Amino acid sequence: MEVQKIINKEILEVQNLVKHFPIYTRGIFLKKQVGLIHAVDDISFSIKRGETFGLVGESGCGKTTTARSILYLDQPTSGKINFEGKEIITIFSSKNKEEKQKLRRKIQYVFQNPYASLDPRMTVADIITEPLTIHTSLPKKELYQKLYELLELVGLEPYHAERYPHEFSGGQRQRICIARALAVEPKLLIADEPVASLDVSVRAQILNLLKDLQQKFNTTYLYISHDLSTVRHLCNRVAVMYMGRIVELAETQELFDSPLHPYTKALLSSIPIPDPLAKKSRIILPGEVPSPINPPIGCRFETRCIYKKDQNCIKYPPKLVHIGKGHFVACEKTKKP
Amino acid sequence: MQKILRELIQEKNKTKGASQWNIAWRRFKKNKTALAGFFIIGIIIFMAAFDSLIAPYGPNTIPGFYSGETRAPPSSKYLFGTDYVGHDVFSQVVYGASSALFVGFAAALIVMLLATVVGVVAGFYGGIVDNILMRITEIFLVIPFLLILLVFLKVITALAPSGGGGLFMVTLMIGIFSWAANARIIRGEVLRVKEQEYIEAATALGATKTRIMIRHILPNVLHVIIVLTTLMIATAILVEAGISFLGFGDPNAITWGQQLQKASEAVKEAWWEGVFPGLFITLLVLGFTLLGNGLRDSLDPRLRE
Repeated sequence: MEVQKIINKEILEVQNLVKHFPIYTRGIFLKKQVGLIHAVDDISFSIKRGETFGLVGESGCGKTTTARSILYLDQPTSGKINFEGKEIITIFSSKNKEEKQKLRRKIQYVFQNPYASLDPRMTVADIITEPLTIHTSLPKKELYQKLYELLELVGLEPYHAERYPHEFSGGQRQRICIARALAVEPKLLIADEPVASLDVSVRAQILNLLKDLQQKFNTTYLYISHDLSTVRHLCNRVAVMYMGRIVELAETQELFDSPLHPYTKALLSSIPIPDPLAKKSRIILPGEVPSPINPPIGCRFETRCIYKKDQNCIKYPPKLVHIGKGHFVACEKTKKP
Repeated sequence: MQKILRELIQEKNKTKGASQWNIAWRRFKKNKTALAGFFIIGIIIFMAAFDSLIAPYGPNTIPGFYSGETRAPPSSKYLFGTDYVGHDVFSQVVYGASSALFVGFAAALIVMLLATVVGVVAGFYGGIVDNILMRITEIFLVIPFLLILLVFLKVITALAPSGGGGLFMVTLMIGIFSWAANARIIRGEVLRVKEQEYIEAATALGATKTRIMIRHILPNVLHVIIVLTTLMIATAILVEAGISFLGFGDPNAITWGQQLQKASEAVKEAWWEGVFPGLFITLLVLGFTLLGNGLRDSLDPRLRE
C-alpha cells in the first residue's frame, strides 16, 4: 500500500480541454460556417498511474471525443493535455516524428466496434504484430514469439494466427484488438466502450481479461462506457459527463453510494437491478437533452434539473468544486455537503 | 523453448485461414459465364503462344498468290479462305492474336499504373492534392478520346517516317489517353476505405501515411483494380482494332483490325476475309468482359452470401 502511494502520480492530466466541431453549409463556391457543435466544453481531470479511470455519460455527451482528442485523432480546439509531464497536443501538432512515435507507442486505443477496427485483408498475425513492426525492429523469430505470447495472454489459440478477422466472433475480435493494443506495452490504454457491441455473456470475459492484464502490466486504463455496472466492476474513479462537461467526479464507491449531482442521481437510478422483488425508485428526468449546437448558457443541466433553480443556475456555468475525499461536483445546490 | 516455437510456427502454417481471396476464388469457380470467359482467353493465349505451330503458313507468305488462289473461299487447304493478295486468312488470324493480346495487356498495364497512382494519392491525401489531380483527370475525360488518339498517331508517324514505333506507340497512346475514368473510380473506392475504422486504428497505432496507403488502403481497393484491369484489356483491344481499321495502326504488324480494313473493300465477294478476324476480336473482347464481370461479382465484398 505504501509503495502504491509513492507511485500514485498523475500519468495523464487534461486541462480545460475544448473540442468544438464546426458545421458548414455547402455553398456553390465557398462553404460557410453556420454553427458549432459543443462536443467537449472545458473539461479537466487527471488519471493516476496504474488506476482505471471511468468516463461515463449518455450517448453524445463527449466521452469518445475526449478520448479521440487525447490521441489527437481529432485536433482539440483548445486546452492542454499532459502525459507523463509532457504537453502532448504541441508534440502531436509539431513535426517531430520521433517524439510523436514515442507517444503513439505509449498510448494505445481499443475501439468500440471490433467488427470495423480490424483490417479485413490482414491475418491476425499481421494485425497483432503491426504495432511491433512499426515501433521496433525485432527479427522475425522474436516477432513470432511475441505473437504467440500475446495470443495466449488474451486467450486465443496459436492456430488462430493465420486466420482472417471475418472468421472470428465479436468477443474473439475484441481479444485480437486488445492483443494488438498491448503488443507494445503501452503506459495508457484507452478503452472506448470495448464491450458495448458484444453479447452480455462475453462482456464479463473481456472485462475480466482487461482486469487481469492490468494487474500483469500495471497499465493505466481510461475506460469509457455508458454501462454503469461495468464501470462499477472495473474502475477506481469515475467522472460523469453531461453535454460535454464533467458534472461529478469521485471514487467509484463514493459516487455509487452518495451521488450528489442531480444528473448522477438520475443516471444511477436507471441501473437495472437483477432482482424482480427489489423496489425501484427511478428518477425520470423531464424533457430532452438540449441541442449541443445551442447549449444552455449556464448549467448545462438547468433545463432538466429536478431541483429548484435560481438565476445562478441559468446565467453562470457551475464550477467543478472539491467537497472532500476526492469528490468533485459541479452544481450550485450541492456546494456544501 | 526454441523447439516449442518451431512447432508453433509449423502448426501455424498448417492452419492457413480462408483469406478474402480464397473466398473470392471459391465463388468465381461457381460462376459459369466467368469460367467461359476464362476459357476463351485461354484458347487465344494458347494460339498466340504457339502461333508458328498452329498456323499452316508463315506470317508474311502469300501461298495463294502463286497458284492464283486470291480471294479463294474457305476450303480444306485454306481453312478461312485467302485474301486479295493470297494470304491464308486462318494463318493471319492466328498471328494477329499475339498483337491483340500485347496491346490489351500492355495498354491495360500503363492505364492501371497511372490510374492507381493518381486515384490512390488523390483519394488518400484529399484537399489540394485531390483538387489538382482531379482537374487534370477531368481534362483527360473531356477531350474526344479517339480523335486526339488519331491526331497524335498521325503526328508521330509524320515526325518519324519509319512507322513511328509501331504497335508499341499505338499501345502507349491508348494507355496515356484512357486512364482518367479508371482513376476516378479508384479514387472513389479509396475515399470509402479511408473512412473505415481500421484506418483510424492504424493511425492510432502510429502507422505512417505511406504505410497506411500501401498496407491498408491498397489491399482493400485491389479488387476494384483487378476488375478494372480486365475490362480495360477488352477496351484496349477494341480501340486498337478501331485505329487499325481506320488505317492509323502499325502497317508492319499483323493485326485483326488491319485485316478488317483490307476486307472492307470486298465484303460482297469475299465475306470470309472480314468475318473471321472480326469474330476473333469479338470473342476475345467477350472473353475479357465475361471474366471482368465474373471477377467483379466474386470480389465484391457486399455480395457475400
